[in-house]
Amino acid sequence: MIKTSALKLGVAAFALASAVATAGAADKPLAGTTLTIASQNDQFASVIAKLAPEFEEKTGATVKVDILDYGSLLTKTQADFVGHTKSYDLITMDIVWAGQYAENGYTVDLNDLMKRDAAELQIDDIYPATLKYIGQYNGKQVAFPFAGYAAVLAYRKDLLDAAGLKVPETAEDFVATALKLTDPSKKIYGFVANGQKGPAVAQDWLQYNAQLGGSVLDASGKPALNSDANIASLKVYKELFDKAAPPGAVDYDWGGREESFRQGLAAMMETWSVGAPGYYDPTMSKVVDTVGITYTPVAKGMEPKYGLGGWGMAINADIDKEKQEAAWTFIKWLTSPEVQKEMNMNGAGSYIRKSTLADPDLNKKYPFLPIIAKSFDNADGDYRPRIPQYPEIQDLLGTAVNAVLVGGVDPKTALDDAQAQAVKLF
Amino acid sequence: MSIATTAIPSPRQPSRRKSLRFDDRRQLFLLALALPAVVYIAAVAIWPLVQGIGYSFFDYNLLRRGGAKTFVGLDNYVQVLTDGTGQRALINTFVFTIGAVFFEFILGLGLAMLLWRDGRFNRICLAFLLIPVTITPLVVGLIFRALLAVDYGYIGYYLAEWGITSPRGLLAGTTTALPTLIFIDIWEWTPLVALILLAGLKALPGDILEAAFADGATSWQRFRLVILPLLLPTVFLALVLRMMDAFRVFDSIFVTTGGGPGDATTSLMVYGVKQGLQFFNIGYASAIANISILCIALMAAAFTLLIRRADVKANEQ
Repeated sequence: MIKTSALKLGVAAFALASAVATAGAADKPLAGTTLTIASQNDQFASVIAKLAPEFEEKTGATVKVDILDYGSLLTKTQADFVGHTKSYDLITMDIVWAGQYAENGYTVDLNDLMKRDAAELQIDDIYPATLKYIGQYNGKQVAFPFAGYAAVLAYRKDLLDAAGLKVPETAEDFVATALKLTDPSKKIYGFVANGQKGPAVAQDWLQYNAQLGGSVLDASGKPALNSDANIASLKVYKELFDKAAPPGAVDYDWGGREESFRQGLAAMMETWSVGAPGYYDPTMSKVVDTVGITYTPVAKGMEPKYGLGGWGMAINADIDKEKQEAAWTFIKWLTSPEVQKEMNMNGAGSYIRKSTLADPDLNKKYPFLPIIAKSFDNADGDYRPRIPQYPEIQDLLGTAVNAVLVGGVDPKTALDDAQAQAVKLF
Repeated sequence: MSIATTAIPSPRQPSRRKSLRFDDRRQLFLLALALPAVVYIAAVAIWPLVQGIGYSFFDYNLLRRGGAKTFVGLDNYVQVLTDGTGQRALINTFVFTIGAVFFEFILGLGLAMLLWRDGRFNRICLAFLLIPVTITPLVVGLIFRALLAVDYGYIGYYLAEWGITSPRGLLAGTTTALPTLIFIDIWEWTPLVALILLAGLKALPGDILEAAFADGATSWQRFRLVILPLLLPTVFLALVLRMMDAFRVFDSIFVTTGGGPGDATTSLMVYGVKQGLQFFNIGYASAIANISILCIALMAAAFTLLIRRADVKANEQ
């Protein structure tokens, strides 16, 4: 008797539950789904975490944002891919990881989904360079761009004016201006860049190296770390560190470098556009009224091209189809014009859409957006080669360049050593 | 079940065999007690060790070719020992270990002698001395990194300002970074060495010391001829413990210099962790780890021999 009623009760409860679920499904198709994002600790991370409840309200899916520093993000996500542990559904992918992702098939190839939802994505509004560099590799789209950064030159108008100097337009001008503006007795330095061993110094040097005409791969895609152009540019980089940078810069990573600029220690700094909103924020910056942002200079006679970096959102290929679809829904939401605007109004500094960069509200808040727009039109996202061997190449350069800056190692010797080791990776 | 049935002694058997059976049963019981620990050690220590030895003979990178393995014999070992960074890492690790353990022992012994006499002041000192030991090495690294920073560090700023160090600071100099890291290690671990040696001193038989005193031995003679030989087993313990630990140094280097500048402070572990957990180059990283284990084993063996010889010599005197 009891058994039967319990059974009836169970059936009734089940029916009720499915009825509720169906009712919910009508307006919240992803109710009950949880999406976990492994996110780089950049400006966008906390903004995504802040806006995620809006996505939940719209679709019913809960979004958990796991904010990690660069090293932890790389290690944790690699371990997740290699071990097929499905800890993360969505992964923020640095532009330079594309080769490794494509070669190993870690993430879902988004080409078909993009074709299917082309109208909804408004692809024409997205800068082709961001789509190409942030995620495309060997015909696969391993991630979808959501945060494009342009390399820009931040400078101090007051210091340049006081010295009667113009904003440098070529790399040669830049070096000369940096040396002239330096006055250690007043704690003013003409230049600041990352000097810290590892990815920090490697990435900054690669940026200057490209502007001075260097390249770490030759035309056939083989490593050419010790090319004459690279050796010459490393000499320039060392000269800038020796004569024009704050002494602590040899140990700066992105955080230390940005801080030194915001504190008024440095007159010029090449940086990612994502840091720019910080210079205009009086709670953290002493240079709010004197900062200017412009294009990065290239060597005389070189075709102007501007460094492109940033992050794409990738879907873990190990998760089941249904969840992949939910993750794709999240990507579409995150990259929609409305959310992109909201993100940037919240200081994410992450741009992929023409409409966002042209938005009047955002332009009122951030006067440097046209610079980013033009940089995206002439962007180079391959000066850091997005090949599967990139992490090792970056590590070799991170050690070699740092050794030149602080260890008194000759640029040619250091790059010869790095080249000998890089060749083994191909 | 079979253990229980065979082990029950039949009443007709002679008593000698009966007791032997009892011993067998006892042995089995003891084995059974140890079994969980043995299984545990086998699973978490011996099995990975054997795996690691196996991997080290392969070109095995989880991020390449879908993680395929190719047998390469001793290539990984040859590469560690011939590669510039590998050699630097090996030399740095030995310099670090010898430098750190030497000073920790000398200073620790001095501290132990000072604190030998039991008194309230000494007990308070001892309690304070233990503070560094209780801090995680990673945190110690972060603290010193902050202290030595030239922009804002309490120590680094003034050292650079007064021209005692280069304007870039101690940790950014190729010749000063490793000694600085050795200093940090000494700061943290000398008290532990002192504590171990102090425990040894307190356990020394009082009558022998009194006899030496009564025989008119000078302080130095008492120290060299009586105290030190008796203390040898404790010295051995302290040295081997610290040596093994110092050879595996990772955290403090990782957070202060990351192995830099250049590779001036890259230790074997820093190098191995980078290869294994950053590049997932498992074969190569295993070779680095095995070289490290081998070095530690050889040094421990050398220590054992030296101490035994010294012990025999002391007993002959």
